[in-house]
Amino acid sequence: MNIRDRVASLLRPNEVAHAHCDIPCGIYHPHIAQQGAESVERMCVLIGELGTPSDAAGHATLSRYVAEKEKAAELVKHEVRILWGDYFKPPHLEMFPDLHDKAWNIMKLAGTARGSVSIDDAKALRAAVDEFADMFWKSKE
Amino acid sequence: MLAALAAMCSLRGRYYRVEVAGDSMRPTLRPGEFLVLRRGAPAPGRVDPGSIVALHDATGRLILKRVIGLPGESLRVGRSVLINRRPLIETYAQGETPQAQFRGANQLAEDEYFLIGDNRGASTDSRDFGPVRRERIEGTAAFRYWPLRRLGRIGTPRREFGTAAADDLPLGMIRARTGN
Repeated sequence: MNIRDRVASLLRPNEVAHAHCDIPCGIYHPHIAQQGAESVERMCVLIGELGTPSDAAGHATLSRYVAEKEKAAELVKHEVRILWGDYFKPPHLEMFPDLHDKAWNIMKLAGTARGSVSIDDAKALRAAVDEFADMFWKSKE
Repeated sequence: MLAALAAMCSLRGRYYRVEVAGDSMRPTLRPGEFLVLRRGAPAPGRVDPGSIVALHDATGRLILKRVIGLPGESLRVGRSVLINRRPLIETYAQGETPQAQFRGANQLAEDEYFLIGDNRGASTDSRDFGPVRRERIEGTAAFRYWPLRRLGRIGTPRREFGTAAADDLPLGMIRARTGN
């Protein structure tokens, strides 16, 4: 036991106060963001296949696709923000100096993909999210 | 000598020490730090917003959380905290409230306080168990004495609000808008 530990053991209070979390904390996974990006692309494909609806049922389907696409794009942004803000720590920046740019870029791409019906935009988002997920997994190696 | 002993005894009654366990008060409090707490519930109207308080939770554990909402205030926790519709600027907090913990109170009742851990992505607090009545507060964090390099008073940050009326802007954007 070094001196610091000895002093700490002398000063240690008897009581413990918990700054606790009952939910499973510290569990991070890029899967949800990737799934969201995939959903955006899938919805673009479905919207393209649907074409211009001619009846109420078609309009309802289109509305569902659009709503789902926008929700998925927002989900991507939310999940990437959690990984970027909560999971990644300063030492990771040394490993990935462009981490902030990558996260920022995803916000922009997701915003664009949310507003457009472009498979290219969706693919760009997916590629950026996959790259971000790779960084996540590399940081754990 | 006797006077010093008497002073120490009286201090022991008014203050007590705890060791911090867990991560939910990061970055303010880290696990393994030793604190001095002022004993007892503060007097009515004397609970400072931003102070860190200790109380026993339903499982009997002593827990530490920060006072965010005061009696009479309306409060909403989304990506940021809105108090009476104004975004609270929280320089002490880190992370983001998970969607599953988005909560609010139309109005906190008399003597009710809303407590949240500083580590927003990893804390169980009023977002889960609801507001807490004043009499349940058992202590207020006053001082950190270990590790020595982080020794010092545990202050109460000045309460500041952003001017943005937006409901759910990320904290960073609110800071940018208000120039903080």
